[in-house]
Amino acid sequence: MTVPTATPAGTAPSDPRDDRAPGRLATVLASPGTRLVGKRVLLAVPIVVGVSILTFWVLNLIPGNAAQQLLGPEATAEQVRALEQELGLDQPGYVRYLDWLGAAVTGDLGTSLVSRQPVTALLGERLAVTGELVGLAFLVSLGLAVPVALLAAYRPGRMFDRVSMLVSITGLSVANYVLALLLVLLFAVELALFPAIGFVPLSQSVAGNLHSMALPVAAISFPLFCFYTRFLRGDLVDQLQGEDYITTARAKGIGPGQVLLRHAFRNSSFGLITVVGLNLGTLIGGTVIVEQIFALPGIGQLMLQAVNTRDFVVVQACVLVFAVVAVLANLVADLLYAVLDPRIRYGSR
Amino acid sequence: MSELASESSNTAPAQRRPSASEGVRCELASEPVAEREDVLATATAAAPPPRRDPDRTEPLLVVDDLRIRFVGRGRTVHAVNGLSYSLAPGRTLAIIGESGSGKSVAARALMGLLPPTARVSGSARFDGTEMVGLSEREARRHRGADIAMVFQDPARSLNPTMRIGAQIAEAVRAHSDLPKAAAHRRAVELLSLVHLPAPQRRFHEYPHQLSGGMRQRVMIAIALAGEPRLLVADEATTALDVTTQAQIMELLLELQQRLGTAIVLISHDLGLAASYADDVVVMYAGRVVERARTADLFAHVRMPYTGALLGAIPRLEREPHSLLPVVPGQPPDLSALPRGCPFRPRCSSATDRCAEDPPLQEHEPGHWWACWHPLPDARPDAPAKEGV
Repeated sequence: MTVPTATPAGTAPSDPRDDRAPGRLATVLASPGTRLVGKRVLLAVPIVVGVSILTFWVLNLIPGNAAQQLLGPEATAEQVRALEQELGLDQPGYVRYLDWLGAAVTGDLGTSLVSRQPVTALLGERLAVTGELVGLAFLVSLGLAVPVALLAAYRPGRMFDRVSMLVSITGLSVANYVLALLLVLLFAVELALFPAIGFVPLSQSVAGNLHSMALPVAAISFPLFCFYTRFLRGDLVDQLQGEDYITTARAKGIGPGQVLLRHAFRNSSFGLITVVGLNLGTLIGGTVIVEQIFALPGIGQLMLQAVNTRDFVVVQACVLVFAVVAVLANLVADLLYAVLDPRIRYGSR
Repeated sequence: MSELASESSNTAPAQRRPSASEGVRCELASEPVAEREDVLATATAAAPPPRRDPDRTEPLLVVDDLRIRFVGRGRTVHAVNGLSYSLAPGRTLAIIGESGSGKSVAARALMGLLPPTARVSGSARFDGTEMVGLSEREARRHRGADIAMVFQDPARSLNPTMRIGAQIAEAVRAHSDLPKAAAHRRAVELLSLVHLPAPQRRFHEYPHQLSGGMRQRVMIAIALAGEPRLLVADEATTALDVTTQAQIMELLLELQQRLGTAIVLISHDLGLAASYADDVVVMYAGRVVERARTADLFAHVRMPYTGALLGAIPRLEREPHSLLPVVPGQPPDLSALPRGCPFRPRCSSATDRCAEDPPLQEHEPGHWWACWHPLPDARPDAPAKEGV
């Protein structure tokens, strides 16, 4: 897999009045936006390569290899050696890594040592499941956190604010896998409202798919919801109480709702975007356990299986996906921030 | 105030800069000529009658025994302890004091902009309406429409993420039901009223694209959007360099003449008061220590605190490298005010008698001070114009 060299934000917001520039392309290439994107993408390359080296090294430290796992404990040393040779496991580590890297750069992530399927094919369908899980979790958590935080900040210290703070502190202190088990216990075992395990593909039935996703999404989004609510509410109250432009807005005689939405929320949303971007990177890795609990055929489950069978090709590929998503999420958050915040947008002119 | 729109093309700045001696002149365009001459006559008379007299102009703002304390965390801060003054339409009053003297807090109380920990008592009547104790909703009706404020730091007082045009238009629409397009036009008019070059283009810019002085002009445009009758300039020029400071003050005075707006000038700068105000109130530890017309005050300083403040102004005539005379000591802790005169611990003429509260009294016509041991009259070094 290669790092994408162009993102949709690549066409930077260039100044439309600036028509003395030599040419359209030159303007775009020289614009601070393009330079920012270019710099960030170039920085991502060593990060992704570093992560892949680290993973490779750690996998090598685990005793046992794929050949031993495939043949089982009964296998003779000769059989193992023969399979190692066939799989290329007899080569020294750096040779195997460079081979893998060379192929990966061209988009070939290799063939699974265990299932003998191309890894890219394996990843594709798994990524869709994890993507849906994470996407829904973000939608639900942000969709609930923003209105709750706004309501809490509208009247800080009142009943709604206190209850929402109590809930979010509770939610923050519970890990998502503990919550997942509790949800299974309550909604799947006791109430039998949702299935405890099993996954209905989107292509089969949309309603069935959502039904099977409900508990895993709830398990992931609740801690997120709590975190975003706390973060946004705190930032809003800080803005409302500490910022001079809020006083200016109030001095105009506009209502508290407008002060909150047009002034405080507008400025708080920048911080929220950054936090969401950082979260996205870590969250895609954090789904591993939840996918395991609910038996969702996502990328986390794939990786866990691959670790158990020492299928280093698949593990490498999964880790690479996590790393690229994390880097991209941060990049997109930064760029979004730059597009939305005029101070950054115009700052480098 | 309706001429605001039509006059926006007439941008010749008035070349008037009143000094202390002529600072009491009042050039209200809407006022009849006879009345203006009357005001002039009373101002130049040796002993002008106090404002309280049955004048033909009703005062716009009457603040009477305003007290503000902040309650919280087991201690009470007495920020304002009995502030009284009145202000006629179209006039300029300077409220002078150190940081923590309560001058800003008192102004914000007028608009109901204090945090919930503030306890306000006393009275502040704006055009007959009691402003103390208004509900948030009632106070909001007056904010911007009757009383507007220009704040100290224009870099922080404008929303950094909104275009300045939108911020002005928002103020325009806060008290009118103008449609968006009309509010937009009005915002551009206001920008040209405050002499911002290329207002049409500036409308679409963000605060960080403007200089400090330009930002303060935008703040003034926002303040004028609701056509207020009282403009409070809370240290409005403190964050600006001296040249810009003078330009902003000129602008405020020009707008005052054009629109008849009364101005409360909150500052720690005596020079600013001397140059631009009609009347001066000197505050210390939340109370008024001296109050007079500008000319009277600077010609005959009576309260030792005012005298000390005047002495602390750096002057060109002074010997180079000589120590600047400062007011010794610290302003008192507002949560544990001493008995009697609050300036007593720092005052060179303090005696045992100062443990008793000196009342603020009108010792000379129009000249009030709160001191048992006032300075002798007609000090030779009383300056006419300082600081700028």
